[in-house]
Amino acid sequence: MANHEDKHDDHYHQPGLQHQFDDMSQQMDSGTLGMWVFLAQEIMFFGGLFTAYLVMRTRYPMAFAAGSNHLDAFLGGLNTLVLIVSSLTMALTVYFAQKGNRNMQIILIVLTMIFGTMFLGIKGVEYTSKYEHGTVPVDGWNKVIKEGQHKEETSLRLPFETIAHAAGGAEHIHANPRGDFRIEDKDIELIKIAEKGGFLTKSEKIGYYSDYSKREISREKIKGKIRIFFWLYFVMTGLHGLHMIVGLGIMLWLLYKAWQSTYSAEYYSPVEVAGLYWHFVDIVWIFLFPLLYLLGRHFLAGGGHG
Amino acid sequence: MENSDAMQIAKEAPEVNYLNTDWSIKSWLLTKDHKRIAIMYLISISFFFLIGGLYAATIRLELLTPASDLLESGTYNKVFTQHGIIMVFLFLIPSIPAVLGNFLIPLMIGAKDLAFPRINLLSLYIYWVASLFVIFALLTGGVDTGWTFYAPYSTTFSNSYVMAVGLGIFINGFSGILTGLNFIVTIHTMRAPGMTWFRMPLFVWAHYATSLVMILGTPVVAITVLLVAIERFTQTGIFDPAIGGDPILFQHLFWFYSHPAVYIMILPGMGIISELISAFSRKKIFGYEFIAFSSLAIAVFGFLVWGHHMFVSGQSIYAGLVFSFLTMVVAIPSAIKVFNWTATLYQGSISYDTPMLYGLGFIGLFLIGGLTGLFLGSVGLTVHLTETYFIVAHFHYVMVGGQLVAFLGGIHYWWAVMTGKKYSEFWGKISAMLVFIGFNLTFFPQFILGYQGMPRRYAAYPEEFQVLNIFSTLGASVLAIGLIMPVFYLLHSLFWGEKAKHNQWQLSGLEWRTQQPPPTFNFDETPVVTWEAYAFGEEADLEIEEAEKEQKVLPTG
Amino acid sequence: MSEHEEEHIGIPGYIGVFLVLVVGTIGTYYVSLIDLEGFFAGANTLVALLIAFIKMSFVVLFFMHVRWGSKLIWLAVASGFAWLLILFAFTMSDYLTRSVTGR
Repeated sequence: MANHEDKHDDHYHQPGLQHQFDDMSQQMDSGTLGMWVFLAQEIMFFGGLFTAYLVMRTRYPMAFAAGSNHLDAFLGGLNTLVLIVSSLTMALTVYFAQKGNRNMQIILIVLTMIFGTMFLGIKGVEYTSKYEHGTVPVDGWNKVIKEGQHKEETSLRLPFETIAHAAGGAEHIHANPRGDFRIEDKDIELIKIAEKGGFLTKSEKIGYYSDYSKREISREKIKGKIRIFFWLYFVMTGLHGLHMIVGLGIMLWLLYKAWQSTYSAEYYSPVEVAGLYWHFVDIVWIFLFPLLYLLGRHFLAGGGHG
Repeated sequence: MENSDAMQIAKEAPEVNYLNTDWSIKSWLLTKDHKRIAIMYLISISFFFLIGGLYAATIRLELLTPASDLLESGTYNKVFTQHGIIMVFLFLIPSIPAVLGNFLIPLMIGAKDLAFPRINLLSLYIYWVASLFVIFALLTGGVDTGWTFYAPYSTTFSNSYVMAVGLGIFINGFSGILTGLNFIVTIHTMRAPGMTWFRMPLFVWAHYATSLVMILGTPVVAITVLLVAIERFTQTGIFDPAIGGDPILFQHLFWFYSHPAVYIMILPGMGIISELISAFSRKKIFGYEFIAFSSLAIAVFGFLVWGHHMFVSGQSIYAGLVFSFLTMVVAIPSAIKVFNWTATLYQGSISYDTPMLYGLGFIGLFLIGGLTGLFLGSVGLTVHLTETYFIVAHFHYVMVGGQLVAFLGGIHYWWAVMTGKKYSEFWGKISAMLVFIGFNLTFFPQFILGYQGMPRRYAAYPEEFQVLNIFSTLGASVLAIGLIMPVFYLLHSLFWGEKAKHNQWQLSGLEWRTQQPPPTFNFDETPVVTWEAYAFGEEADLEIEEAEKEQKVLPTG
Repeated sequence: MSEHEEEHIGIPGYIGVFLVLVVGTIGTYYVSLIDLEGFFAGANTLVALLIAFIKMSFVVLFFMHVRWGSKLIWLAVASGFAWLLILFAFTMSDYLTRSVTGR
């Protein structure tokens, strides 16, 4: 370790130097290491959820594929791109903070916040769609649609749809008098495809059927497993969203400080450290997107197994 | 050189230290001083220890008779649950790191404070908020799931305040995480010149290893408790077998943290013991590097054995075999420490001061606790012993006989550093012996009871177990006396005690060389370290220091 | 002690990394439509995870400056992932071996 000398009497306090540190270099090293240690614990925090996902998906892959097909992969992909752009603007914020360029810092922080907010907005659209389609995994928490109220779907239709999105198709909104969690016939179809293809797991043979030897499918049992998928979907994306909100809060604080020209080549570690956090939240989404949104899509594209 | 009269006057002038620098409440509640934060933690954890102890007393009173006559089963469930939660989360896990670690680590490495003093204060606040949640839950009805919160009882069937306590534990976890983060960064970046890794006291190594466990393990229990709370709230979830969920998944996620948690509890204790044994054998610790690396080994391997809590849960037997084997492996670094402490004692010049009594007690009690852990780690034996009092005895031997004893030893050992006062050595020795005797009388019979088949967590038991239960309660009474006594004589010393002699045992650690109690920024000038850890006498410039100590000048290389 | 040389790659570099990430995202989106299960079971998942891992590596190395970080930082990053792997591997060791003869 470097030789950090300290003389109380002639201590020149650089702006931003905390009293417990001997010099800015020690402070910066400590801050960066501290944030990485914090991120290591964040990895383990999300890790528990990924473990639950891993266990449940290994058991019931087709239910997870079915659930995944309810999600709008286009919006998910768009959100991924939004976050990636925000990561770029964040990285550039750090770059300009180090250069002491106040104006560019401010512009880029604002841009980062705009994209972050866009992400949350799209998430809001997605969650609302779940509510309307009866795929919130708690009974009573979905939109109540009385008998006779069902109509054709009016979901977000964008000019450049993918096959999968179109294949997801015009969904009937069924009656849902108690706002319960519901699954669709197409979910059962997917299970049947797997059954024909012979790639159901042992747990699935017990878990989807009231009697596998007679191939008696139980809609109720399948619904339970798809419910688990959605439960994990909401908890994982919800926790991620919470982290985004915290990130936006941090950005706001950074904006305030940058406005006051706090950061320069001598002192920019808070920006660097905030950047680390922001990039981490981006990375979590980089994994959430394929694992939640893209699983069952190869079935939709007319594939089966081999 | 000043004349001796002037030096006398200088000696008697009241010195400014971290305690008397400002007595206002605001200066305490908004402090950035790690030493003040440590003292506030000390008061808090002692308070929770008292509450946890009252629960223990209730348990022991109930178990005096075979029938469930003092408490009905539902209430008894709440009592042992709360005893466990308070003792584990509010006392054992924070105790040594948040009190002694916080106080001593910056001093030991020659720093002015921890790397992040405000985060340290935040840690304390988070701890207080979490504790309030737990107390709130206790007062409004309690929790009855066992401290282990197993699903699906905790998620679906329990009628108690699982969510409130769960939230409290969740919040409390972040207190530990922030403390661990602070320690890791501090130890890496804030060491004084000359304080290389291998010159640090083993107490610091122990806390480094502990912090690694806190950082990597605690978040998993945090998310697990959160999942239980969400499942409870939404009345559906991944631990619910009715929809295809898995209660064993809960156990995997829970024990992934809770096993390493026991190493969070014991490693700091082991760090203290290394200090005590060396100081009171007047001998350099034997095998410094072995002890340092064994702490890291315990931290790492401790993460690979959690399935030994799940042998009979329905877990795959093959996974069970792997976990069992690794459990045997993780015992090895602990054994290495015990051998090294013993080797340090050998041909040492041993004095039986109070802290040493605790230190020696630790070695014996930890030995028993650790060995019985090995019995439990072998799959065949565990089938017979699981969910019996054998387990209760095992973990109390390591947690109370190990950790608590080490904590008490440390408090006594560094009392002069923390307060500048001397406690009554007579009462110190008496209470140490009462603790040792009371403890063994309480918990040794429980090994026998467990082996004979008495189940744990039961308010009522078959009559043939009553005699040993009576011994156990008797022992608990003696233990209680032994534990309450220090409160009195330590507090007495604080207000009316003699000033302690500066560095009374002539030790080379930096925490002994500075003013007692230390000033707010720890040292008058940054120390420069030129001696090895656990050096005695000339090697550590202690004789020069003897002569210079009137002027409070540290050798600055 | 610390030399902060992140501006090595400069703005063009950051934009380059950004483009890699965008390509990766679009790539994974379209590859997910192709049924790769014919190669081996789980192929789709493996490809998706591989792409995600590559994207993550670019973010970690370049946006988060780990490429120029000290050994200690590398150790911190590696430990986080190693521990995640421990959690996954040992948990799955239970689930994957349950139906092997007997228990």
